[in-house]
Amino acid sequence: MSSENKQETRPDMIACENVDKWFGDFQALKGVTATIAEQEVVVVLGPSGSGKSTWIRCINRLEAHQRGTIVVDGVELTNDLRNIEKIRSEVGMVFQQFNLFPHLTVLDNVTLAPKWVRKMPKADAEIKAKELLEMVGIPEQASKFPGQLSGGQQQRVAIARALAMEPKIMLFDEPTSALDPEMIKEVLDVMKDLALGGMTMMVVTHEMGFAREVADRIIFMESGEIVEVGTPEHFFTDPTEDRTKLFLSQIL
Amino acid sequence: MNEIELSNPAKLPETPKRSIGEWVKSNLFSNIPNTVLTIVFGFLALYSIKGLLGFILSGERRWAAVATNMRLLMAQGYPANQFIRVWFTLGCLMVLTGISLAIWRSNGVLKIKRIGTWVLNLGLGAAIFASLAPVSANARGGWLIATAVLLLLGYFLKIGSDKSMLPDDVPTVWFSFGCLAVLVLSLWTVPYGHYAFTDGELIAESGRTVAMSTKLPFTVMLLLLIGAFMLAEVARGLVHIPKAKIVLSSLWLLSPFVLNWIVLRDPDFDYGRVFSTDIPIGLLFIGFGFLVLYPLTNPSIGEKGRLVAIALLMFAAFNWIAAFFGLYPMLQKVRISFLLLALAALLAPNFAADNRTRLRFISFWAGFIIVLHWLITAINSPSTLDLQGPTYLGGFSLTLFVAVLTLLLSFPLGVLLALGRTSSMPIARVLCTVYIESVRGVPLITILFFFSNILPLFLPAGMEIAELAAIVTGYTLFSAAYLAENVRGGLQSVMRGQYEAADAIGLTTSQRTGFIVIPQALRVSIPPLVGQAIGVFKETSLVAIVGAFDILRIAAYVVPAQTEFLGVKREGLLLISVIYFAVAFSMSKYSQKLEERVGLGER
Amino acid sequence: MSITAEESTSNYHHQKPPFYRDAIVVKWLFQIGALALVIFALWFLSSQARDNLTARNISTGFDFLSVDPGINLSEGIDTRPSTGGRALWVGMVNTIRLATAGIFFATLLGLIVGLARLSNNWLVKKVGAIFVETLRNIPLLVQILLYGAILANLGDLEFDSGWDNWVIWSNKGVSIPRVFIADGFYQWAVFMILGAIAARYAYNQRSKLHDETGQDTFPWLWSSGVLGVFALIGWFIHPIFSWVGSIFGAISDGISKIPEEILQIALSIAAIAIAGRWIQNFLQSRRTPGGAARLNDDDKFRIIFAGVGAAISILVIFVVWPGLTSWMINSSSDLFSVLENKFGNGRTGGPFGVDRPEVIKPGKFEKYGPSGLTMSIGFAAVFFGVVLYTAAFIAEIVRGGILAVPKGQIEAANSLGMKRSTALRTVILPQALRVMMPPLGNQYLNLTKNTSLAIAVGFSDLVQVGQTVGNQTGKNLSVFAIWMLFYLACSLTISVAVNFFNVRLKIVER
Repeated sequence: MSSENKQETRPDMIACENVDKWFGDFQALKGVTATIAEQEVVVVLGPSGSGKSTWIRCINRLEAHQRGTIVVDGVELTNDLRNIEKIRSEVGMVFQQFNLFPHLTVLDNVTLAPKWVRKMPKADAEIKAKELLEMVGIPEQASKFPGQLSGGQQQRVAIARALAMEPKIMLFDEPTSALDPEMIKEVLDVMKDLALGGMTMMVVTHEMGFAREVADRIIFMESGEIVEVGTPEHFFTDPTEDRTKLFLSQIL
Repeated sequence: MNEIELSNPAKLPETPKRSIGEWVKSNLFSNIPNTVLTIVFGFLALYSIKGLLGFILSGERRWAAVATNMRLLMAQGYPANQFIRVWFTLGCLMVLTGISLAIWRSNGVLKIKRIGTWVLNLGLGAAIFASLAPVSANARGGWLIATAVLLLLGYFLKIGSDKSMLPDDVPTVWFSFGCLAVLVLSLWTVPYGHYAFTDGELIAESGRTVAMSTKLPFTVMLLLLIGAFMLAEVARGLVHIPKAKIVLSSLWLLSPFVLNWIVLRDPDFDYGRVFSTDIPIGLLFIGFGFLVLYPLTNPSIGEKGRLVAIALLMFAAFNWIAAFFGLYPMLQKVRISFLLLALAALLAPNFAADNRTRLRFISFWAGFIIVLHWLITAINSPSTLDLQGPTYLGGFSLTLFVAVLTLLLSFPLGVLLALGRTSSMPIARVLCTVYIESVRGVPLITILFFFSNILPLFLPAGMEIAELAAIVTGYTLFSAAYLAENVRGGLQSVMRGQYEAADAIGLTTSQRTGFIVIPQALRVSIPPLVGQAIGVFKETSLVAIVGAFDILRIAAYVVPAQTEFLGVKREGLLLISVIYFAVAFSMSKYSQKLEERVGLGER
Repeated sequence: MSITAEESTSNYHHQKPPFYRDAIVVKWLFQIGALALVIFALWFLSSQARDNLTARNISTGFDFLSVDPGINLSEGIDTRPSTGGRALWVGMVNTIRLATAGIFFATLLGLIVGLARLSNNWLVKKVGAIFVETLRNIPLLVQILLYGAILANLGDLEFDSGWDNWVIWSNKGVSIPRVFIADGFYQWAVFMILGAIAARYAYNQRSKLHDETGQDTFPWLWSSGVLGVFALIGWFIHPIFSWVGSIFGAISDGISKIPEEILQIALSIAAIAIAGRWIQNFLQSRRTPGGAARLNDDDKFRIIFAGVGAAISILVIFVVWPGLTSWMINSSSDLFSVLENKFGNGRTGGPFGVDRPEVIKPGKFEKYGPSGLTMSIGFAAVFFGVVLYTAAFIAEIVRGGILAVPKGQIEAANSLGMKRSTALRTVILPQALRVMMPPLGNQYLNLTKNTSLAIAVGFSDLVQVGQTVGNQTGKNLSVFAIWMLFYLACSLTISVAVNFFNVRLKIVER
């Protein structure tokens, strides 16, 4: 993908400035500063415990940051209830453990938020949900319960559920880590399609192939700091920082 | 003791490969200590059974005290000429049960072999009875014949299904109907005896079957049950099943209130007031609700809606405070309605959606107000039924009434308390915890005393509370604390990820709680909740101590005070032990089944 | 999308939302509102109660505790109590007596039945199952009344009804030998305390020896032996400790000389210190390596509440309940002076005595003499009721606890070549006990609360006495407060005890 000219013309979708976050004594984020442009796909890499997940969870305020500013689509994340509401309905999130609602059918899982948050009529919401299930390749499972699906199918439902809100940004928090190897591809394929369709995406993952192929930029984090930012080409072939080199040597 | 065996056929000892002798040897006499145990416990068991039978069948026992007072025990002094209402109520419940059985398609089947085992066990029970009971030689002969018949029947059922002379299984529903039919039939044929107080005189004829006023209604009830079931089976194909289920569920929820009203209704009910006051007020509130809620459910209204709702809430609260100081009078119903309207307005933003959803929300509110107004009217019109005894409800019906009402009322309260205790708000958490723990720390009886003796002291001048209402209030507040703990267990089992996922798709806190958290929590808490329900049912007996005429009070204090049966206490207590046991035991068996089902759940 | 162009381009830096949209403020406002509502409701109800009580000419308060209630109790340490407080104290003693006896026997019976349900013997298993299913599905109150009715129908009291004056039963109750605390008990108790210290020392020594040499040194046997020796010697020579009383007397005098103001000030300082300490720790926990603590609004509210809590306690000490400190001084001084009187005065008898029951005939009818420990029908009915009912539940807990130990554990123990008894003691029981302890504590609590059903058979437990006293004096509200405090104290005691055992068991596990 040609990302260079994209970055210049598109406005910022996510802007983080000096974001700090502590869990008790432990500082999880140390002055994280980064911007993500519209339609950009950013993959966040780093060893476990490096604060990737915390950062991504701060962006739709599942965690509250303590210092610095996070602005998503022009809305600053503060204690303001209205802003939180707005961000939540504009940012879709996919979790490592899928977190589907086990007591609802797949269709109800997908239509719940459009019906009650977007205030969409039920019939419209269902049509939309069926389209999305078609898109992620499991239209025939609509009336089943999550417990009856395989991990890969569940994760695809989770993606459909997030997309049903017509988000401007999609966050992926290690979407393939809890999957059996044979199911990883089906989820990554859906994510690739999404990226090609022009969705702004921020992906925390360990899938290097995905990062190399799809990402516009790669952000490498370690112990709560952003160490290096660059295109996949640059990142995998010619990293500047020692810590990046060490990480790559361990993982490749 | 047959119940035990009946319920555990799967754990019964026989394995087909071993002969009876081998089974006895390995299970009873495998080694010396085992043999000693068998002998000791065998003597113990035989001695207790013999003692119990001797106690029950002793000539000194006066079972007539129980038989004569059966109506008193069941419904206290309900006037005989109005009894048709009670039967009507019961009939409604029967029809509802029949239809529900058909709609919820209980597909359960019973293996004929299993039924055979039960019949064999019954035969064994009869054999023990025949050999140990202190009865006349003739009666012993009769019991021996019964034993032989039962054993043969059981053997036939077992062998018959083995050799495929009989079908493998029968539907559970029809088996239960069959058992009930046998019981009802026995009312017409077996001389249980005819006992009654007629004009203060004791009639006791042991050779007759029970009175027509007993056997006829019971027969009708059974026919209603079976008839409703069969009709509903036929109608099943014609109706939309999920809708029918919703209708039936709401009927079940409403039935305690409605049927209670039918039973206790004042014969001279003031319909004029209903038309002049109640219906206009109801209509007014429906209209008012529409005017308020329709704009509030508009998705674009935003925080302004919340402010309007808070203003309404303050107005409703002001109404209550004013009422306490007697400032300006209005019907209590109006105050309650205002409060509910304010609460609905608070909820309204959650239902902001397309027009259909909005209208559905408003019509739900309207339906709720109609039902509520009707109930308040019904409760407020005092019964002038001429009942003997200080309270208007009594006997086993009071026990059931208190238990069901308490469970219904304490459930929402318990859920709220559990939510409060697990919430992230420290003050709410502390308040709920203090409430739950202090209520759980004291005995129920002190709380009942508090509410029956002391509560009137706390009420504003002029406000009174009926004793039964005070008792139910106290019991509700008590059981809500226990219920909250059960629900809390369920709430804690809901994964953190579920909360996060709900937040991430933009649900508000109340939507998250209502759509995601509570359904999952309740599913997990069902078995402990059933256990709690059993506890509530059993402890209903405590209302006897604070003066309500429930079945226990009648058996332990009323009957022994009758001149004919002075001091006859043990018989009645034994009988109600059996009644309590039957209800509680079947509920606990049901909960065990539920537990297995939840354990095998979808996840 | 709902977002408009105007909003998305607005300047976002450091905008503070209006208070009604600020998540933290809304959260705390809601809670303060709820708290205010609760306080208002309580205030309102209590003011109503005050008005109603004045209207009915009933005074509130606890003065009835020192007034003669004019009631007779069916049994207890004092059947004609001279004050209301004494009457309630008799009730409490009766409740505690019933509860402790109940807990002991219910545990014993429950253990037996629970093990019976796990037996290989079919008959034993069945008998256990029937016991459990029958007893736990019949309401306790029904059982108590039934047992009461059956006991009331026993034969009349005669001189030879029972076993040779060791146990006597009749429709007037059951009488067994009484063991009582005699004159020398407190002096002997001092010996026992010394003995416990010595036993502890012996235990440690023997354990150390075992660790060093690896031989069986029987530390438990040794320590109980030491304790036994002390008990035996103390039985005869305990008068040598008669001087201990004067120490207690001195302590009592010393306490009574503490000026009230000093205690008040000390308590206030303690309240401030605790709040300050809490705030300090809280700030410490919020501290970040990056420097000073960063507090969000939530934290600020918490700190304010801690401060308010301390202020309220000081207010209570000085204004709301100024008598608190003098009460504390007097009661602790009284306690020691009571202890002082238990020593000296030529106390030479044994610490305990035993009296066999007897039947006397003072007038026309036989009755139990004062010498034996007599269970009235009421006591026996409640006792059998709570014991049988609770035993059924305990049996299920025991069974569940043992079944909860994975089968692999037993197999592992066998494969290590342990003896069956060793495996049971060191592997199975600790694990089963860990599962059993919390629900067992719950059952003990239930049992204690269930003794309140004694009122149905007229046994003078706390609730029955309280109800009588309350009806006599009209002080139902005060009585209710005493009930609550007493049962909450019982709950607390039992849960503390259970927690203590739980902690011990966890150490055993390690």
